[in-house]
Amino acid sequence: MARTRTTKTVAQRIDLNYFKRPTPFKRAKLWLAILAPAIALVWIGWHVLGRDNRVYSSGRLSEAHAVLEKECAACHVQQAGGYSASAADSACLACHDGPAHHATNINTKVACAQCHVEHRGRINLAAVSDRTCAQCHANLEATTGPGGSVYAKHIVSFQDGHPEFAELRSLQGHQAHDAGSIKLNHALHMQPIRRGPNGPNMQLECSDCHRPGATENQIWEYSDPHYSAARSTDSPHSLLVAVPMFMGVASTVWSSRVSLRPRRPGSGRELMAPPIFANACAGCHLLTFDKRFDQGVPHDNPKVVHAYLVKKFSGYIATHGAELHEVEEPRRNLTGRANGPVSRSLSPAQWVAERVAVSEELLWHKTCSQCHAISITPLQDVRIARWDAANPNAESRIVSSISTAVSERPADSLPGILTANIAEKWLPNARFDHDAHLGFSCIGCHQNALTSTETSDILIPGIATCQKCHAPGPERAESRCFECHTYHDWAKRKEIKPTFTLPALYSTGK
Amino acid sequence: MLGTARDLMLIDRTQRGWGLGSLGIFAAALVMYFLEAWIAPQGQPRGGSAIGLIFGVVGFGFMIFAAALGARKRVPTWRIGRAKAWMRGHLWLGLLSLPLVLFHGGFHFGGTLTRVLMWLLIATVASGVYGALLQNSIPKKMTADIPLETIYDEISHVRKLLREEADRTVESICGDVGFAKDVSGEIQRAGGFTALRPIAASAAPLRTSAAVSAGASAAVAPAAEIILLSEAESAPLCKFYIEEMRPFLEQSKSRGRRLADEARAPSVFVSLRTLLPAAAHNTLADLEDICDEARQLLRQERLHRWLHGWLLLHIPLSLALILLGAVHAVMALRY
Repeated sequence: MARTRTTKTVAQRIDLNYFKRPTPFKRAKLWLAILAPAIALVWIGWHVLGRDNRVYSSGRLSEAHAVLEKECAACHVQQAGGYSASAADSACLACHDGPAHHATNINTKVACAQCHVEHRGRINLAAVSDRTCAQCHANLEATTGPGGSVYAKHIVSFQDGHPEFAELRSLQGHQAHDAGSIKLNHALHMQPIRRGPNGPNMQLECSDCHRPGATENQIWEYSDPHYSAARSTDSPHSLLVAVPMFMGVASTVWSSRVSLRPRRPGSGRELMAPPIFANACAGCHLLTFDKRFDQGVPHDNPKVVHAYLVKKFSGYIATHGAELHEVEEPRRNLTGRANGPVSRSLSPAQWVAERVAVSEELLWHKTCSQCHAISITPLQDVRIARWDAANPNAESRIVSSISTAVSERPADSLPGILTANIAEKWLPNARFDHDAHLGFSCIGCHQNALTSTETSDILIPGIATCQKCHAPGPERAESRCFECHTYHDWAKRKEIKPTFTLPALYSTGK
Repeated sequence: MLGTARDLMLIDRTQRGWGLGSLGIFAAALVMYFLEAWIAPQGQPRGGSAIGLIFGVVGFGFMIFAAALGARKRVPTWRIGRAKAWMRGHLWLGLLSLPLVLFHGGFHFGGTLTRVLMWLLIATVASGVYGALLQNSIPKKMTADIPLETIYDEISHVRKLLREEADRTVESICGDVGFAKDVSGEIQRAGGFTALRPIAASAAPLRTSAAVSAGASAAVAPAAEIILLSEAESAPLCKFYIEEMRPFLEQSKSRGRRLADEARAPSVFVSLRTLLPAAAHNTLADLEDICDEARQLLRQERLHRWLHGWLLLHIPLSLALILLGAVHAVMALRY
């Protein structure tokens, strides 16, 4: 007999109420459907009871605000029964000022949170997107009006629209040049030097002359202890004051622009300090003036140098009175017979005046003017300070003249030395940190130093050199605007009364 | 090949409307996102921006709609759209909620709650997509492979009935072997019965094989005549049934049983046929048929677990997602 399987026999096996019966699968589905939301509810409730609002946060706070992680209300200021969706400016300004950026030129008010986006993890909050800057700088005319700004009008990013550095740009058809007045041939100094302080064929390194400000007190290879110890009456700060440049290019020298002051003081290693004579030059460039003295004159202004010379020679003649009576070796006449020796006697004042005049002639004409630009008018007075035995009349006149000059010479009769005007900060509107680039050779960026022979050559690298590394993408250095520029004018910052106290911040948020 | 490809095609003509609509919404959202990304100073839309809020609200709305399918199923009599439309909406809008929420957060997972929400959403959508794939393929496979398919919830009961049927079949030729008879309460059954009808064959007059071999007239025997085997003749069958087949019918999930293996099972019965007289071959065929049905039920159970098992993850996660999503919405608007 074959087994029969009809619709009826099959239907007969089915319980009509089977769907009402619980099955393991149905039970599991039900319990899990209850359990999962219950777990979620307990989890949220646990945070609510613990007054831990971090769970609602849309992301971790930046490094600077990490301590406020649990204190939502510190930034999301309560307003009329609710909270502000984004952090209120007043909350930001309660802790730190945010000075405006060219406030007079900006038509729209920018909220803090528009640029500084929080809840993006432990980021640097100052690292704003290029687009925040490009909102205005991509079309600066639209923001400031035609002619409203002297800056480039269409900058989108460092790669897109950023002009060549201001100091390297030619303006009105004139080639940009260094306004410094120190005569320096970089190419010569970069070649092996035959007569160095430590022997022949020495090779200078860039750091023998150029070092960051904070390292000035370190040992310099070719410094002179005599000059290092001496205090100049004209400090570098007063010597290197800003002077108008010939081309009108905005330039910042030793005293940096106040408006570009960083928010926090730097390490002092960002910029190269102007080379100081005592550290960088004195090893080779001796300021000797007379064979009677080993020491050179102070590296100071002409008035000090003049006083030094008078003092040195006065002191010398006081102990060497025999030199007041001079005898010149006899000259031979045409017949071949020797003339008798010619002699003369000077007063100490005359002797000092003459020696000072001769030394100054050497200094002003050769030693100082080798590096410095000197106004030469007063030099005419000292060129005659030479004893001519063949013209005794003239001699007495000159000596007399010099004698008067030494004791009564007015200060303005000394030569004038043009301000050194060595620029420390070459990018007036940007930040640059040499210390961040110390892994790279100087010549890698400042290649022009190898061939530059003129003081007027600008040796900072162009934007293309920076763009080789500072570009978007992996394996590239940061290239966003904030890397070099600051939005806020920190020179205008206002002091803020502290808001939080420790350790109460962690317990009450106040 | 072509037929197979068509069978596997998930988006058929019936889905075209929903598919195109969803694609349109996705395209519009994508354009909005990139426009916002182009315009936004920060470079990425944020949840708190106007566009970000729109993405969030619409995405959460889609999630709620998708979750409402469960409620809709509980009240099938409500005239609020066809169940098929709800299911398609559940699939497409639920799927769409993921990119919308990613746009909402600017592809940032954010803080603790939002990160939990994002992973919940991803897990829910992934399990839903996985379930949709299974729902599209397994029923077809079930129809092809399991012709004796029954209601899943009744499988255990049907298996019990199969065992009882097998008991009776064996006893019909081996005599009373002593299997316990189930006397459980009567239940309402389909087909207008309140209890299982006795198998007609079991009431038929019995003839022993000895009688048949002794020349008893076959004419007097009814067509459904059952021959009772002698103890010696029935021994291989009894041994096989007690030691192998009955345990298989009782605990079919146990591994290593020959009868559970579709390839090996026929050889078991072939060898039994050689040991049993021809009169028992029909009975043996019935037992083989019962084993085959039990095996199909076993396969149905396995496929059913695949077909619906993902719901054990999908439903709880989606409920937790809706709950935490609501908390996030309230708190995000508050702060």
